[in-house]
Amino acid sequence: MDARESSGNAPVQKATRDMYLPPERRKIADGGTAHISAREFSIYYGEFEAVKRVSADILSKYVTAIIGPSGCGKSTFLRAINRMNDLIPSCHTTGALLFDGQDIYGKFTDEVLLRKKVGMVFQKPNPFPKSIFDNIAYGPRLHGVNDKKKLMEIVERSLKKAAIWDEVCDRLDKNALGLSGGQQQRLCVARTLAVEPEVLLLDEPTSALDPKATAKIEDLIQELRGSYTIMIVTHNMQQASRVSDSTMFFYEGVLVEQASTAQLFTNPKDPMTEDYITGRFS
Amino acid sequence: MNIGTRKILDRSFTAVGIGSIIVMAVALMIVVVPIITNGIGAVFFTGTVEHRKMLFSEFKRGDSENLSSEVASSERYRAKVYQMLTGFEAELETMAPEQKAEYQAKYTQVRAALQALLGPLPGDPEPMLTRFKYGQTRWEKAEEKLHDLLYETRWDNSNPEVMAKEYFVSRAIGFQGTSLVKLFPYVKNNLESMLLPEFTCYWGFITDSSVDSHFFGGIWPEIQGTFFLAVGAMLFAFPLGVVAAVYFTEYARPGFLNSMLRSANSTLAGVPSIVFGMFGLAFFINTMKVSESKSVIAGALTLAIMILPTIIRAAEEAILAVPKTYREASLSLGSTKWNTIATVILPAALPGILTGGVISLGRAAGETAPIIFTAAVSVGSAIGLADVFSSPTPALSWNIYNLASEHEAAAQIRHVQYGMVLALVSIVLMLNLSAIVLRARISKKLKG
Amino acid sequence: MAGESEGECNRTNAFVVSARKRAMQNVAKRAGEGMLFAVASFVAVIVLFIFYFVARDAVPFFQIRGFSEFFTSSNWYPADDPAQFGALAIIYGSLMVTLGSALIAVPMGVAAAICLSDILPFSVRQYAKPVIEMLAAIPSVAFGFFALVILAPLLQNNGGPLLMWAWWILVSPFMLLAVIVISDLLTTKITEPKRRQQLHLFFMIFLGLLSVFLLFKVGTVLYGIQILTGTNALNVSIILSFMALPTIVSVSEDALQAVGRDIREGSYALGATRAETILKTVLPAGSSGILAAVILGIMRALGETMVVWMASGNSSQIPEPWFNYLQAIRTLTATIAGDMGEADQVTGSARFHVLFAMGLLLLVISFISNLVSERIVVRQRKILSGQ
Repeated sequence: MDARESSGNAPVQKATRDMYLPPERRKIADGGTAHISAREFSIYYGEFEAVKRVSADILSKYVTAIIGPSGCGKSTFLRAINRMNDLIPSCHTTGALLFDGQDIYGKFTDEVLLRKKVGMVFQKPNPFPKSIFDNIAYGPRLHGVNDKKKLMEIVERSLKKAAIWDEVCDRLDKNALGLSGGQQQRLCVARTLAVEPEVLLLDEPTSALDPKATAKIEDLIQELRGSYTIMIVTHNMQQASRVSDSTMFFYEGVLVEQASTAQLFTNPKDPMTEDYITGRFS
Repeated sequence: MNIGTRKILDRSFTAVGIGSIIVMAVALMIVVVPIITNGIGAVFFTGTVEHRKMLFSEFKRGDSENLSSEVASSERYRAKVYQMLTGFEAELETMAPEQKAEYQAKYTQVRAALQALLGPLPGDPEPMLTRFKYGQTRWEKAEEKLHDLLYETRWDNSNPEVMAKEYFVSRAIGFQGTSLVKLFPYVKNNLESMLLPEFTCYWGFITDSSVDSHFFGGIWPEIQGTFFLAVGAMLFAFPLGVVAAVYFTEYARPGFLNSMLRSANSTLAGVPSIVFGMFGLAFFINTMKVSESKSVIAGALTLAIMILPTIIRAAEEAILAVPKTYREASLSLGSTKWNTIATVILPAALPGILTGGVISLGRAAGETAPIIFTAAVSVGSAIGLADVFSSPTPALSWNIYNLASEHEAAAQIRHVQYGMVLALVSIVLMLNLSAIVLRARISKKLKG
Repeated sequence: MAGESEGECNRTNAFVVSARKRAMQNVAKRAGEGMLFAVASFVAVIVLFIFYFVARDAVPFFQIRGFSEFFTSSNWYPADDPAQFGALAIIYGSLMVTLGSALIAVPMGVAAAICLSDILPFSVRQYAKPVIEMLAAIPSVAFGFFALVILAPLLQNNGGPLLMWAWWILVSPFMLLAVIVISDLLTTKITEPKRRQQLHLFFMIFLGLLSVFLLFKVGTVLYGIQILTGTNALNVSIILSFMALPTIVSVSEDALQAVGRDIREGSYALGATRAETILKTVLPAGSSGILAAVILGIMRALGETMVVWMASGNSSQIPEPWFNYLQAIRTLTATIAGDMGEADQVTGSARFHVLFAMGLLLLVISFISNLVSERIVVRQRKILSGQ
């Protein structure tokens, strides 16, 4: 596990747009691979630099938590990975953000294909006002699956992966808005999984849920670990320490520290990190 | 100021506010209630045998055996009236010339009043207009005509300072000493037997064409015309409006061009309706020549322009009300922007968009000014769907104006006018009510 | 876990596409957006067309006849030979009914808007709003029919008593209020409580008797009025005010809602009553929005056709005296509607073009007032958002 601390020093050359890094160049120390890499990556809202020259590697198939006080840019960074920030007209970026060695903000990047590979679950559960089945089938249908039987398979598989199948299998045709908050959030996870992404971005997925539903989501993350690269933004440091392998600490747009979760929470290198995790500011 | 006075002022301030809302509600009642109560009279009324005769010969409706027995029984009573008339005519011949001339003049009036009451008398030539072929078809009208028969109306002009006042003189007195004097009490006492009034439920008012410029028959051509115009307008305006709203909400970037477009939208919403009519005449008919002269298509296009801003605004509001999270969720699943709009945003906004559409449909149905020069004719039969590109049509809104203000016998066909107003108002209010209900449903749904 | 990383990324599965495909995608996106823009700009095109086509047929009139006759003479004899096209009385008639309806609709509409936004509980508001919407939905021709067939005979036959009752019902509560307030104001300076009470009572009685006398005196004068024709400016003003009310109410309610809670709470916290809070803080803050509402409502009255055509009497003269609302008048809209049928036969005549000149006048007025009200709304939004 210790090897992952070295991620910041990965042998990556100067970032340019439309670059491609072959997998062997992305190897990090103990043989883990960087799935997502940021190099001198900044995000601006108009003039305001919300994320400042971040360089980091996110390891494939591990759970990475992003913590930091409100407004530190952690959500902005997360949303940059599947280009949800495009919805904000004044938002632009500099530096490079690589996914599988390909530049996410490259000139020839098809953001639709990108988002298919990078799924996202939001703060508030946001199922469509459709049936449970149609919610899950929405993504596959978009990408050309129309066969009813195949869709059914995908829906079942996704719901099972998201550990909600048992609760909804007898009411797939009911409106998804009728589910409880926790169920809705797991449904949203299932909906994302149905597209078969490689990366799962979770933007404070439990902030709108009660403790019981939160526990279920955390269990779910544990089950999905190893199959997907998972990034989770959270306010809750206990949650970060419970679910993640590696943790990034952001403060005022700067990546202060990135380390294995065990190390960051027990023996932080940066005094600012220590102040934050001991609760001296938030 | 005294604290007590301040409190009184506060209370009365509240009272003024609530009072004005009550005044508005009362105004709504004052306008709507007489329209409803009188309008219902166009369908439900006490009809006479003349009405049934008219229905049978004009619309081939009713039971002929039943009718002929009714006619026979009424003729038995009418025969005596006719006898009295012939008796008096014979008596006239025996009179001195001056006396004869005097009675002849009065007798002509009596005959005219009887014609109005019972229909053509024996010996009269076949009338040209359908309205004179039958006596009074409605009992309350028959009672008015009976009054006309019994009393002569005169005007008191003795005082030039004030308006002339009307007063009534019994006609029977004028015929004192002749055989005709018996006619008046006879008609008065036997009118029911001559006209056989009974409660009538005339649904044909909605489905029949009019006979002799709305003297008899129904308002189907107007209803159909209104339907064609309003639906035609929607066919043009609804898709355009929704697409424009999608552009404004999803694509437009703030800037000069965008604010110009928005200004144009509100300008269009503020254009007086009569100016739309002029524009329709000058552009669609005189310039584009969509039709030779007035036509349904020209009217529908004009109405479409008029309701376009309303539809755009309603659709914009509905789209903006769709939670942002739906958009994010769909995009994060790898959906294109266009796909997101088509499969998530528009379906979620649809009830709101429809609400706006339904209200605009009501507005298109109710407007008169834009169709005066472009689509409406006063009298005419229902047109076929194929004729919408070439022929004008009667429409409820226009014909209400026309019957109330320009019809040669406007006061005689008030029941038709009320019936038309009720039809129009109920169409429009139904549409609005359904929009209100629809909206209440949406807000409930969104709250979960 | 780490061992799998070799195979997971092959470039066939990439999201970076070829330059050509990306360019195609861009073109498609631009084209789609362009089409949407074309549809959205359709509205602007229509507005330009309306101005162009109405002006195109209006200009010949001014070329033939000049401006002065149209705006200064009230001799409207378009069918005579030689024809006269003095529209002053018609313009005046339009202004008169617009002003009349504004006098009724503005106080009522603003009061109702205040009531809806600040006074009524939410549950009642839910029922009041549909009433206003229904009032807005009733077609103008139905209002016109009501004015012609029900209101006009009522005014003509029982005009005097009707006016008297309206005067009593509307004015007496305000008189009573004025008596209370004035007698209170007159005695505020007096500090000695007993003397003050006595004087207060005296003023109440004195002013009360005065106002009762006034009420009855004016009432009798009104009772004696004979209305010669029921289709007159008063009738039209009343009906038009009902048609303008929904607009005024809903737009001013929006303006009042936009004034935030904090302003209200600040005022209440200083011990103001609800009326004082609304009159002294909420209304001034929302005043420009209310002004915009009034302009929009007035425009509705000015542009209305059917009611004035049916119930104004269509007599092209300035009433004697000029403020006499009980006489028949004629408006721009009704003239256009009524004369087009005859003028249409001779398209191209001055008689045809003069109607378009009137239409252009209406169009320009409505355009300017729209711009003004829009500016006002934008400015208020800026002020309220603190820019």
